[in-house]
Amino acid sequence: MPDAFHAQIRTALDNPGLQAALDLNAERRLNARLQAYTSLSEDALTLRRRAHAVRAETIAHLETYLDQFIARAQANGLIVHRAIDAAQAVEIVMGIARLQGARLIAKAKTMIGEEIQLNQALEEAGLTVVETDLGEYIVQLRGERPAHILTPAVHLRRADVGQTFHEKLGLPFTDDVATLVAAARRNLRQVFLDADIGISGVNFGVVESGSLCLLSNEGNARMVTTLPPVHVALMGIERLVRTMDDLALMLSLLPRSATGQKMTVYTSLIHSPRRPFETDGPQERHLVLVDNGRSALRVSNLAEALYCIRCGACLNACPVFREIGGHAYVSIHGQGSPYSGPIGAVISPGLFGQAEFGGLAHASTLCGACKEACPVDIDLPELLLRVRAGAGKPPSAASQPDPANHAPHTLQWGLRLYGWAAADERRFAAAQKVAGLFSRLLPPFSDWLRLPAWSGWGLSRDFPRPAARPFRTRFQTMDREVTTAALETSQPPGQSPISNPQFPVSASQPPLPRLSTAFLMERFASELTALGGTINVCQPAEIGEHLLTFLQERAISSIMAWEGRQLPDGLLDALVEAGIQVSHIPDPTARAGLTGAVAAVAETGTLVLPSGVGRLQSATLLPTIHIAILNSRDIYENLPQVLNLREVREASSVALISGPSRTADIEMSLTIGMHGPAEVHVFCLD
Amino acid sequence: MDYHLLVTLVLIDYNSSKNMTETIQLFITCIIDTLYPEIGEAVVRVLERAGVKVAFPPGQTCCGQPAFNAGMRAQARPVAIHIIQVFEPTNGPVVVPSGSCAAMLRYGYPELFADDSQWLPRARALAARTYELSEFLVDYLGLTDLGARYSGPLTYHPSCHLLRGLGVDHQPRALLSAVRGANFVDLPHAEECCGFGGVFSAEHAEISSAMLQRKIANISASGAPVIVSCDAGCITHINGGLHRQGKSQRVVHIAEVLDKT
Repeated sequence: MPDAFHAQIRTALDNPGLQAALDLNAERRLNARLQAYTSLSEDALTLRRRAHAVRAETIAHLETYLDQFIARAQANGLIVHRAIDAAQAVEIVMGIARLQGARLIAKAKTMIGEEIQLNQALEEAGLTVVETDLGEYIVQLRGERPAHILTPAVHLRRADVGQTFHEKLGLPFTDDVATLVAAARRNLRQVFLDADIGISGVNFGVVESGSLCLLSNEGNARMVTTLPPVHVALMGIERLVRTMDDLALMLSLLPRSATGQKMTVYTSLIHSPRRPFETDGPQERHLVLVDNGRSALRVSNLAEALYCIRCGACLNACPVFREIGGHAYVSIHGQGSPYSGPIGAVISPGLFGQAEFGGLAHASTLCGACKEACPVDIDLPELLLRVRAGAGKPPSAASQPDPANHAPHTLQWGLRLYGWAAADERRFAAAQKVAGLFSRLLPPFSDWLRLPAWSGWGLSRDFPRPAARPFRTRFQTMDREVTTAALETSQPPGQSPISNPQFPVSASQPPLPRLSTAFLMERFASELTALGGTINVCQPAEIGEHLLTFLQERAISSIMAWEGRQLPDGLLDALVEAGIQVSHIPDPTARAGLTGAVAAVAETGTLVLPSGVGRLQSATLLPTIHIAILNSRDIYENLPQVLNLREVREASSVALISGPSRTADIEMSLTIGMHGPAEVHVFCLD
Repeated sequence: MDYHLLVTLVLIDYNSSKNMTETIQLFITCIIDTLYPEIGEAVVRVLERAGVKVAFPPGQTCCGQPAFNAGMRAQARPVAIHIIQVFEPTNGPVVVPSGSCAAMLRYGYPELFADDSQWLPRARALAARTYELSEFLVDYLGLTDLGARYSGPLTYHPSCHLLRGLGVDHQPRALLSAVRGANFVDLPHAEECCGFGGVFSAEHAEISSAMLQRKIANISASGAPVIVSCDAGCITHINGGLHRQGKSQRVVHIAEVLDKT
């Protein structure tokens, strides 16, 4: 009888809509990834191997780094909790919610939240939990699990989403993506403003600074970590990087691998709750560090699975995932796992049990496309083989005789017999003879055998008839007319591979020389423009006039803004004089937000905005238009330079903003202005 | 220094640097041995034309990959030990005309004996002298032009274990580019797996068949009647599907192309 996994596979294969959706995902994501890798400063393989080494070192000394990280985070003002398993993690979050008397929770995407099944527990306790990532929101409305680490609604077409919104939200049916996105934006905006608690995951914890790094394209992660009075961050204990330089390395690979972006639109660095005299940000921040089997996995021969940075590239690259999708990855009894695809087929048995989830690792041809796509170069085929061999326990146990194997029993018996024959050449030769003779008795009498469908092979393939005389008997008597050593060797034996101009090997490029301000400004402008932002270069004396014209052209009469001393002298006074209303506290009705920017990254078109007194964070979140004033001398070449700025490391939180808010959660269709601003305009003072 | 000793040393040095015919050990693989002896013969002829002497250790059987891939390491180990013992007394490179079997010897054996101090060094010694056929011809011997001729369109299916497992790609392509008269055409999505995966093809026959269907569609789109591969597993799988569907295209082993002069 087929187990639940096989049953799910059959259902998936019988769903042509799913196949089409998965094809779309794979093609878009794979092409985008390849394209994005060309913009790396070094050879991709070199960077991936370096990232692998960084992750390996961190995981090898995880306990030490965790202690350091916790000490820093606590010193920064975070309330740190540790949970040994899912039940404890859930209990910690419930405790925080009870203490706050919370009723509504706004949640950004967190894989660990899925893993510990937090939503179910909170809902059972009578709380309302709303997923705010568009894809998560869609699957939550449908009562489904996310179908992909990164793209939760990857399995749906736009009409499915239209139908869901029609049924669950009472909207008239439409399959227009922009209309659906706008409807979700409206509904979720109120949730952000009303929520008592915001729950998020964490992409990276930085040991040296105690920073929490969160990535989001839509802006929902920034909303839930900025607007509600309490923020709870959930984090798997393996999610650490040692330094800001390590973080910069991971950030150069993660968005490129995940979505083909050089930078995610919003990269948040969070250090502390709101500080005295700051005008927004939560009063309280909690960090829940979850083990849930990771410490055990770390000392097993599957430890490498903990290097994963959750980009989803192995899912996109996997030809099996492409056929069956994420929902098919269930235990033999039908229990779902939040982790699917190649990495899920290792993590799920590794964390949740070999007996239930070990079968997932058999659904792979070991083709290696996953390893090739992995930004931290995890040897997934090797790990899948170890799961098949019953791994997941400490290395000593893995060498014991095979435990419960998930391969079908008939196959196991066949392989036992074959193994027995192949361990001795007389038995092997005899078996070949029997196969050669026996196959000749089977019809049809051609070169091909037609095996029954239940054999598996016979489902779609014929099988070549074994040779009457195998090679081993033909070798000695074969016709050897060819003269030996007839050809000239162009190279003595055993030397290094010849270089072939048709197949050039890419070499890593030397680092760029120090660049001029004009060059950096030009690069920044072209990257920002490519992201959909605009740039207006002007003299410091002209900024007031330019800005006023900009606002008046759009009939904007009220704005949220940083305080005057954070902006060019006299700028706000000039705007007020001209009749513009300026607010320094969160104002959900303001159409535009005016901020400075302490730095920018030329390579990625990124604005760097640390929080602080007089620097309203929600000015870059709530309005549909974000206007930033940047000084050209504050443009840096690359990310590591700005991550190491003192202002960045010491702010209660930092937003690195790369273009307008965006989503591609419905059918990979890019829509601008999901939760954050739809427009980003930079006035660059030169 | 003793004059005679000096002369002897010089002669030894001269003889070893001279272009002496090198002997290689052929590991033919169980699939070619049992199903495609004619491919095996082509491999021998190609190697001899490339200037090496071919030895065939008769004790060889299968590399043990089927059991290893199914997670049955206890069953795979005796087979691997047998193969190590067969090749241990021989000298020279071990040449394997199949990417996945070569990958099994090079990476699978050291993994299989990772916790076994007796067999790990012996597995590594075999791994270090193992070459896939096209890798051996191009990287070891430094040859790309074997004087082969072929007329008509050809395309190439890079098998997964060869391409991503061993990192061998430019070698077979260089060998094929040197074939006179061949019109090399692109195979769309060539680097995608054909869906074989050894025991996977039986255990997950439905997924395997869906993947094979994509490969066959891409082969049809390429317009080439002949597809070249360096892996007997892929050849068996794709040809099995092409034959079932009554299609005329066929996958051939690279040695069959290089064999034709």
